[in-house]
Order: sequence, then structure tokens, then C-alpha cells
Amino acid sequence: MKRLGLGLAALCCLPSYSFSEEIYGTTNNAAQTGLAWVMTNILPEYAGLEVNGLVYSYTAVKDPETDMIVWVQNEYADGNGYIFRNSDDWSGLPGNTISKSFAFPNLPATLWGPGSIEVDGEGDVENASVVYSYRYDTCFDPQTDPSCPGYRETVEIPDVGLYDPLQDDLIQEDMERKARIQEEEAEQERQRRREQWALSNALEDLLGDGNNPGLIDPVSEALALALTARVLPTDYLYSLEGREYLETVVLNGGTIQDNSKARRSNLAQQLLHQQMVDSQYESSQQETK
Amino acid sequence: MLKIVVPMAVSILATEFVQAQTEIIGNVDSKCIIVSETPGVYGNPNPYQLTTATTSGGVQPIIRFDVLAADYYKAVIEHPVSFSSAPTLDDVVTWTGDVEVSEVSDTDMSTYDSDKIEYDNAHEYQMTVAGSTWFKISSVADYGYNKSFPAGQYTAVVEAECIPL
Repeated sequence: MKRLGLGLAALCCLPSYSFSEEIYGTTNNAAQTGLAWVMTNILPEYAGLEVNGLVYSYTAVKDPETDMIVWVQNEYADGNGYIFRNSDDWSGLPGNTISKSFAFPNLPATLWGPGSIEVDGEGDVENASVVYSYRYDTCFDPQTDPSCPGYRETVEIPDVGLYDPLQDDLIQEDMERKARIQEEEAEQERQRRREQWALSNALEDLLGDGNNPGLIDPVSEALALALTARVLPTDYLYSLEGREYLETVVLNGGTIQDNSKARRSNLAQQLLHQQMVDSQYESSQQETK
Repeated sequence: MLKIVVPMAVSILATEFVQAQTEIIGNVDSKCIIVSETPGVYGNPNPYQLTTATTSGGVQPIIRFDVLAADYYKAVIEHPVSFSSAPTLDDVVTWTGDVEVSEVSDTDMSTYDSDKIEYDNAHEYQMTVAGSTWFKISSVADYGYNKSFPAGQYTAVVEAECIPL
């Protein structure tokens, strides 16, 4: 037994001993400063806080003969209807102090929107008091306290340092080499286009202005001739030897027999065509009459 | 053995008169609860007077009736007409008092005051609505003809009953 007691005592004193606690409380009078209030100003800001009750009281001051309905209410936080709404119908009744209490199934605080006391009819509300009761778990978020069950030690991320490949010398050299190659290829391409352009201009000049001796520059003519000699094929002035394909099909017997099947078909189509023309003629004759 | 035992048992049952009793137990919880919420205090604004008026330093006692079933009870509250404990008094004490509904949990209870029946020092209310009703009692004791009360502690009792109809 002594060992067991010591063991339990040691267990309780271990650093990993954890617990969570539910805290219950009540708010101040929400209607202290007026008949409308904002819940974020009333409820404490604890994670996972839930509202589990409401107690309100007020004094209705009115003429017993008049009608009066008092609404005590809270809208949903998203504005879609009421999360709580209760009416007290004082119509035809003398005024008095009323006190009511309500229990809720632990509704999250985030659902609760603006609260108010509204009066329909003739009469006043005095000495209003609206008090909410709430609860929350101290370990709703286990990471808030190392003593909470489920708490996990935060893992420190080692400082590895960022590697920027653009700062690597080898990669930079390789990129520069590729850039040089591309630049050289581009330059070669430009050179090739310049030569092609000059060649085509020279050929045009040669063919277009060759009959005007005044425009012929001996140097340019020589250059043009040289370029032409490079472009025109050497066999440009030679003639090609032509050929002729002679008829080789021979018809034996000399006559071609008619196709009797085709003839019948042609006759049938001819007959149909004639009938159609006749019917059109007859119908046109009838219309003219 | 079995053939012997059975006839013997039958003969015993046949010859003796057997009687048995069983109980039916039921508990009734009152559907009317009386709670003394605020104890009263007498103020002594004048030597000859004890009063619960707040303006005179007194505190009016408040009694709450919790009725769980409507129309089954009536509340009878009697304001004091004598001291339950006091120094020796050799003169007459004149008692006045009142009972009124100070708070309700349902608007329909606000007619209780106008519907109540008063006799002697008793105020009788028909509890026609389920819920809680708070009653506030006032009490004034005047001693003699403007005669000073003897020094000492004075205690009076407010009696409240919830009577089934």
C-alpha cells in the first residue's frame, strides 16, 4: 500500500500531468446602458464559449386598459432570424415586474447576434436586466496551455537556409554559355537574312535595270554577275530533251455493242420525264382556261 | 423419492390457509414551493414606531411562491399582528400591514393583486397561473399613543401558506 501511495503521488507530480476544466459564469446586465446590446461586448472572449441560460426581468409601466407586448430577443449572428425570442403580452393587464429564466443546450457564442428589448403598443419598460450564463472549457484549444490533454510540443523548424539556384556559379556559367550560343545563332541568322536580302535586291537590279547602260555600274554589275553565277544553275541555258506518249490501246472488231440494260433504263427515265412534262402542260392549260 | 415428496407437499398446501400482503407506495411532492427570498428588517424612524418602509430604514420581506400546477393552490399570506419575541410591553401595539405582488414570471399573474381576498391580516391569492410569484410584505407597529418602544430586539413573523384547493 505504501508503494502504491508513493506511486500515485509520483504520478500526480509528473510534468505530463494534464487536466481540463469547465468554467461557468454569468455576464453583467446586458441592458444596463440601454434596451439594445451587442453580444461581443457582453460575453467574455474565451475560445469555445457556450451560452447555456438567460434570465431577464423588467418592470412594465402601463395603463391596464392599453395593449402592450414586450419582446426580449437575440438575433442570430448571421442575421437570419432569432436565436432567442420571448414575448410578454401585457395587453389589458396592469403593469408589474416580471422575471423569467431560460435554459439553452449550450449554444456557441458565435451564434449569438445583437440583443434587444422591444415594446409594441403603449407602455414603458423600466429597470430592465438581462443576464446570460455561459460555460467554456479551459482546454478547448489544447495548444493554449501545456497542461491541457492533447497538447503537443511545438516543433522548432531548423534554419536550413534557402538555396537559390540562380546564385549557383556553375548554373550561372552554363546559363551564360547558352545565352552566348543563342546570341551567336541569332547573329548568324541575321547575317544570313542580310545576305539573302542583298542577293534578291541584286538580282532585281540586274534583271530590271540591265537595259539602261547609264545605270549600270561596272563594279556592281560585276558583283551582280558574280552573285547570279552563284545562284543560277549551270545547266540553266541547256534545253531538256522532250518525249511523247503514243496511244497503245487497240479496239478489236471495230464496233461497240449497245448495253441493253442501260437502254431500258434510259427509256424508262425518258418516259417518266415525258409524263411529267405532259402533266405540267395540261395543268397550265387548265389554269389559262 | 420424487413420488413421495410430491404428495407430501400437496397435502401441506391443501390443509394450511395462506395469506399474503403487498404494499403500494406512492409519494406526492408538493407542486407549490414557498421560498423566503429576503428577510425583513424593521426600521425605527420614530421612538414609537417600527416599520419595514425602506424610506425609514427598513427592508420589506419578500416571499416567492413557485407553483408547478395552475388552479390547484391558493396562497395565504398574513402580515404580523404580534411580536414573536420582544421586550416586555405594557401598552397596546397597533399593527398595520399589507401584502402585494412585487414580481411575476407570467404577465397573467399581474391580476393577482386586484383579485385577492383580504380578511383580518390575511391576503388570499388564487394561484391560477403556473410559475413564480414574488410577494412583498409591509408591516408597521405603533406603540401606545406615541409611546416609545422599550429598548431591545423585536421580532415578528410573516406567515405564508400554500393551501391545496
